[in-house]
Amino acid sequence: MSTKSLAAHFTEQVLRAPDAPALIWDGQATSYGELAAMAQRASEEHDLAGLPADRPVGIRAKKSPEAIALILACLQDGLPFLLPSIELAAETLAKLFAQAGVSTVLSPSGPRSDSAASLRALVEAPESIDAPPSEWPPVGGADGVTFMLTTSGSTGLPKIVPLRAEGVDAFTDWAAEQFGIAPGTVVANYAPLNFDLCLLDIWTTLKHGGCVVLVDQDRATQSPYLSGLIRDKGVNVLQAVPMLYRLLIDVHRETGDVFETVRHVITTGDKMPATSLAELPTLFANARYYNIYGCTETNDSFMHEFLGLRDGQVPANVPIGEPLPGVITHVQEDGELLVRTPFQTRGYLKASLNPERFTELDGVSYYRTGDIVRRQDDGSLTLQGRADFYVKVRGVRVSTQVVEQAIQEHPEVVEVGVVAIEDELAGKRLCAIVRKEPDSALNSLKLRQHCMTRLARTEMPSKITIGTDPLPKTSTGKVDRKAITAELERTQS
Amino acid sequence: MDDETVKIKGFIVEEFMPDISVDELESDFDLLTGGVVDSLGLLKFVAWMEDEFDITIDESELGPDSFRTVTAIKEFVDTARAGG
Repeated sequence: MSTKSLAAHFTEQVLRAPDAPALIWDGQATSYGELAAMAQRASEEHDLAGLPADRPVGIRAKKSPEAIALILACLQDGLPFLLPSIELAAETLAKLFAQAGVSTVLSPSGPRSDSAASLRALVEAPESIDAPPSEWPPVGGADGVTFMLTTSGSTGLPKIVPLRAEGVDAFTDWAAEQFGIAPGTVVANYAPLNFDLCLLDIWTTLKHGGCVVLVDQDRATQSPYLSGLIRDKGVNVLQAVPMLYRLLIDVHRETGDVFETVRHVITTGDKMPATSLAELPTLFANARYYNIYGCTETNDSFMHEFLGLRDGQVPANVPIGEPLPGVITHVQEDGELLVRTPFQTRGYLKASLNPERFTELDGVSYYRTGDIVRRQDDGSLTLQGRADFYVKVRGVRVSTQVVEQAIQEHPEVVEVGVVAIEDELAGKRLCAIVRKEPDSALNSLKLRQHCMTRLARTEMPSKITIGTDPLPKTSTGKVDRKAITAELERTQS
Repeated sequence: MDDETVKIKGFIVEEFMPDISVDELESDFDLLTGGVVDSLGLLKFVAWMEDEFDITIDESELGPDSFRTVTAIKEFVDTARAGG
C-alpha cells in the first residue's frame, strides 16, 4: 500500500464528490466543496503564501469548521503548524510559540482573532520570552514536518512534538483500512482539536472521504447531547476516552438509548473500568470493540480487540494487545515498554529533552513509554502502571500508583497521595496521605483492613495519615506528590 | 483484657496508629498483613518489649508469626519470660 499525502488526498475527495458532507457541526453539514473553499479563503486571508516557508505558524483555535479549514490551508501550503491546547494560559502559549520560532500566530476568522493578535504581541516582545527558539526549528520540505502537537506535560512547559508528513500519511492510511473509513463513513470526533486522537477521527476521515461529526468541546460532558448526536447522525466509528462511554451508559440507563449504527467502538487514553466494558454490547449491539494504546510521540502502537464481550467475557486486566503493522517493541529488564512506530516523531523540538525519552538499542531508535508492562502466561502484555511511580521499598519494586488506586477504592476516601520517604534505617518507607469525606469515621485501622485484600504486604504503607483537608495540588489539578514528600520529610526530621 | 495486653495495644496504637483508640484494635488483627508493623517498626517494638517486660529477646527466636497479632505477641512474651 502506497502512502498518500493528506492534503493531496483531501483535494481528490473534493474533486470526486464536492457535495458529500465532510463535517457536521452544530446541526449543520459542511460539504467537501465548501470546506475546500473555506480553506482557500483562510489561506488568502492570512496570506499563507507570503509567510516564510521555513518557519512554522502557531494556531490558536478551538474546534470548529473554520479551525479545520485553517489547518487544511496550512497542510496545502506546506507550512508546519504548532497546535497547542486552547486551555493553556496566554504566557504558556507565548513560550511555546516562541520555542517553535513561529512566524505568526493565527486564529480562524471570528471572535477569537483578538486573542491571536494579543498572542502575536507577546511572542514578538522579546523581553517576555525566557525560552529562546529551539536549536533546530523544523522546516517544511526536507524534514517534512506538518502537525506540531504538544504533550500534556504534568510539570513545566508542555513538550512540542513535531510529526513528519510521512508518519501522518502512514497512520491515516492504516486507520482508514483498519476501521473501514471511506466515502459515506460517519466518524465521531470527541477529543479536542489539538489531541493526537484527531489524526484518526478528523484527519483520516477527511483524507478518505468520510464525514466527521464534531462534538462541541463545551458540551463534552452533557450526556443527552452526546447520546443524541451519536444516534441521530448515524455514527459508524467512535473513538473516545472511557469517560464518554460512562456518560452514554448513564443515558442508556435512563432512556434506553442504543446506538445501532456504530460498527467500531474504540476506547483509549485511560483504563476502561470492567463495569463499563461489560455494558458495551448492550449499547453498541452491532459493533466490534477495541482498546488502543498510544501516545503523542509515537501515535498508536498497540491495539486489542475484545472478542468475548457479548458472551460476558470481560478481562480483569485489559491486554494492550497486538503491535500495529510496522511497530517494533522491546520490554526492558525493569518492565518498561519501548516502542518504535512508523508514525512516530523524530524527537521533541527541544533536542535537550530527547536523551531522557528516546533511546537507541541495536541500531533502532525507540521511544521510552514510561509504562511498565507485564507479560501474562498467554504471552500478552498488560499495563502495570507508570515507571515514574515505581519505588524500591525494602528491596521490592512497588508502584505508588497501585497503592493509591487501592486506597481510592474505599468509598469514604475523597483523594489520596502515596509517596516514598527516605528513612535512615529502612531505606524507603511508603507513606499515604488520605483525605476522607467530612462525616466519615474512617481511620488507619479500617483503611488497612480495606487494603489487606487488595495489596501485597510490601505495598502496604508504613504510615497512613487521614484528615479532611484538601491535599496539595499541581497546576493541572493532580495531587502534588512532590509537595507531600517535602512536607513529610520536613515533619519527620 | 489483662494489663499486659492493654500495654501492648497501647504501644502499637501510640507508635503506629495514633488515630485510633486502644479499644478499636482487636487482639487477632493481622499486624503484618495490615502493614502496621514493618521491619523498622519491629526493631522499635522488640526494644520496647525487652525494656517494658524485662525480657531478653534472641532475634533468632523471632518467627514471622511471633508478631502477627496482639494475642501472638502476648504469648511470645509469656513464653520468653517462662523460658528466660
